[in-house]
Amino acid sequence: MYYIRLFATYVRLGALGELEYRANFWINLLQSILELCVALGGLAVVFSHTDNLGGWRPEEILAVLGVYFLVGGLIRVLIRPSMVKFMEDVRQGTLDFTLTKPADSQVLVSMQRVELWRLADVLIALPVLGTALVRLRVELGLAEALTFGATMLSGGLIIYSFWLMLSTCAFWFVKVENIQVIFQSMWQAGRWPISIYPAWLRAVLTFLVPVAFATTVPASALSGRITSSTLWGSLALAAALLIVSRWFWRVGIRFYSGASA
Amino acid sequence: MTAFYSIYRGYFRTALVVQFQYRVAMIIWLLGGIIEPVMYLVVWRTVAQQQGGAVGGYAVNDFAVYFIAIMLVEHGTFSWIMWEYDFRIRMGQFSSQLLKPIHPIHSDIADNIGYKFLTLIIMAPTAALLAWLFNASWQPDARTLAIFVPVLVLAFLMRFFWEWSLAMLAFWTTRVDAINQAYFIVVLFFAGRLAPLELFPQFLQRVADILPFRWMLAFPVELLLGRLTPNELWLGIGAQLFWLVAGYLVMRVIYRAGIRRYAAFGA
Amino acid sequence: MTQENPVIEIEELSKVYTVTEREAGLAAAFRSLVNRKTRDVRAVDKISFAVGEGEIVGFLGPNGAGKTTTLKMLAGLLHPTDGRAAVLGFRPWERNRDYLRRMTLVMGQRNQLVWDIPVIDTFELNRAVYRIPETDYRRTVDELTELLELAPLLRKPTRNLSLGERMKCEIAAALLHRPWVLFLDEPTIGLDVTMQRRIRQFLVEYNQRTGATVLLTSHYMADVEALCKRVIVIHHGKLLYDGELSGLADRFAPFKTVEVELQNGAGGRPLDEYGEVLVRSPGRVTLRVPKIETASVTGRILTDLEVADLTVQDPPIEDVIEQVFSQEATESEEG
Repeated sequence: MYYIRLFATYVRLGALGELEYRANFWINLLQSILELCVALGGLAVVFSHTDNLGGWRPEEILAVLGVYFLVGGLIRVLIRPSMVKFMEDVRQGTLDFTLTKPADSQVLVSMQRVELWRLADVLIALPVLGTALVRLRVELGLAEALTFGATMLSGGLIIYSFWLMLSTCAFWFVKVENIQVIFQSMWQAGRWPISIYPAWLRAVLTFLVPVAFATTVPASALSGRITSSTLWGSLALAAALLIVSRWFWRVGIRFYSGASA
Repeated sequence: MTAFYSIYRGYFRTALVVQFQYRVAMIIWLLGGIIEPVMYLVVWRTVAQQQGGAVGGYAVNDFAVYFIAIMLVEHGTFSWIMWEYDFRIRMGQFSSQLLKPIHPIHSDIADNIGYKFLTLIIMAPTAALLAWLFNASWQPDARTLAIFVPVLVLAFLMRFFWEWSLAMLAFWTTRVDAINQAYFIVVLFFAGRLAPLELFPQFLQRVADILPFRWMLAFPVELLLGRLTPNELWLGIGAQLFWLVAGYLVMRVIYRAGIRRYAAFGA
Repeated sequence: MTQENPVIEIEELSKVYTVTEREAGLAAAFRSLVNRKTRDVRAVDKISFAVGEGEIVGFLGPNGAGKTTTLKMLAGLLHPTDGRAAVLGFRPWERNRDYLRRMTLVMGQRNQLVWDIPVIDTFELNRAVYRIPETDYRRTVDELTELLELAPLLRKPTRNLSLGERMKCEIAAALLHRPWVLFLDEPTIGLDVTMQRRIRQFLVEYNQRTGATVLLTSHYMADVEALCKRVIVIHHGKLLYDGELSGLADRFAPFKTVEVELQNGAGGRPLDEYGEVLVRSPGRVTLRVPKIETASVTGRILTDLEVADLTVQDPPIEDVIEQVFSQEATESEEG
């Protein structure tokens, strides 16, 4: 309850900061639309030469693209801003203020900044997903909605844990702002279903940088492709990564305060 | 000329030492430039395989060579100068550059080239690895390679002039980031990074001809693949020269205006 | 100094950092990849002291003396390499939530206020983080607003504040939860004289009203003179002095300055025999005299010369401090 109220405070502050930078929302919206147009254009070029890609029909790929934009937007609203702020704080020494607060440092660090104006990315993803759903002729029942929700949640948690672990490296290597670039580079591969990639790249995108769980898996939940083992595997991985990232965070904090050095 | 030689030598040395300090960051930054072509390589290879081995004159192997070459030429011609200037001007570091008795673009070019050479240590093996992973085979003739060198240099210079001009916008607006992002999205589409331009609809191909972007990237790559007729080659070099001169003139005008603004308003 | 009921108590506290060393040049950069040279730096070396409830203690030392490191250990940010510390009965680096709710850290060179939003909204954030009840919060904000004259600042975004205004707000933000112990690291750095005085007045007032214990570092001796009866001096990580501010001069400056006004001028008389001449103008001279000889020298001056006025003073505290550190520096070089 305490943390929920704290989060609400951060969202409110995020909204306040926004009013200061209202134009950012519109610029970001335009930029996202441009990006979406290029992505759709790319899809159109591909499907002008074939009617399916590695067994995926155009509308299924469209669903992948929709989820890719949706999750990407949520990451930019919720996860990335806090992680970037955290890495800045380590470098400038202002993390000390966070650590002297009587709250869980990981939770505090993970929700300290919300960039609501990035919601533009989330907004433009919705019509894409909607179109894909209509074309797929999916009747979204409760079971499908639940499965989709569960895969989205576990995908989100996996991405969060992964990003937290990358950021935690800031305790050892102070200049790690660039580390987020690793994620962004790999993330773009998520706009295509990962089954089209060769085995080695698939392994990287599943286990090393777990992009697949946040894009292909939820999208396949929508088109009814998902197997129950994928669903449970995704949930299990989310739980495991949450625990591992928590542990790693603790190690990082201990190192930061010189307890282990 | 000899004066420039020693200045550039000095710049190169510092560029190498400075960038060596950021070696980890450097390797990370390369990753994006590797993943993207690999992704489209996979997509188009899959399409070609499904269509019986070739699409629009590109066979499975051609796609592999095309995108590996895209990766290398992109690496050889790209710059991060727009972010650099945004940063410099916001942090007030630009003034110290103005104090030096030499146009700031020289140190930027030297920086960029120094970085390219240093990162070749990673890019060259990566290209070889990708060629092996995707069974790419490529036999260039000596003449193609000989022409490729000046074509690549032209591509680098014209792209650098244009991006440097774009970087100067930081004098006028604090929203350079949005402009850069938009620029990169457009380049992605029209420079042939999504797909060989031949696979685009006719209409988009003509648009790409008019814009400068294909001459920065797709053109040198098509040359390497031996897909250009002599006519197309000369036409392409002509287009490169045109955009190079235009970029140079724009760069000069916008730089002067920018300096005037900087002097008037400070930063 | 021993305290009846110490709020802060540290014993033999030490902190050792391991730093990597690098030479210039590309070749050295390559070498450092394989073979890193490291060196241990004793930032804090077996320091012990205790601070009683309601005390304001000045923590002095040149840059790199170990002040900030000690403060950070007490604020729970750093683990000591060795030694013990207790603040309010807590071990700081365990970061017990109850401890964190009772102390605060202000760093003059760093900001905790959120840059883009009005100050009052950062206050709201701290209210949520510290779970301050609404009524207490209102009361504290009103009180701080009055004491620090924040009323016109609260609605402005942090980025629009001047350095001094920002510092006042920083301090207020750090005090919303009414901490019992305040760690202040250079709270007046970079501020103009008037603003420094404001903040000093506030700290005195706050200390009197709440009885909070304050440990502060500062480069400005005026801060220390105005706020602290007691000072702790550290240098090269070692504790040099712990006691009354006035005792610092006795201990480290074995000189006094004697200012003499002469009735007819001194003529051509050399005055070196009485002590080192610091300033000399017709009819007026300032001498530096070893402390133990002060009485005899003034006696001699009074009998030898026609004196209009004579004053004996301790040297200014800045000079004493400077002398402490320069003495220490030469000793450590020789040693």
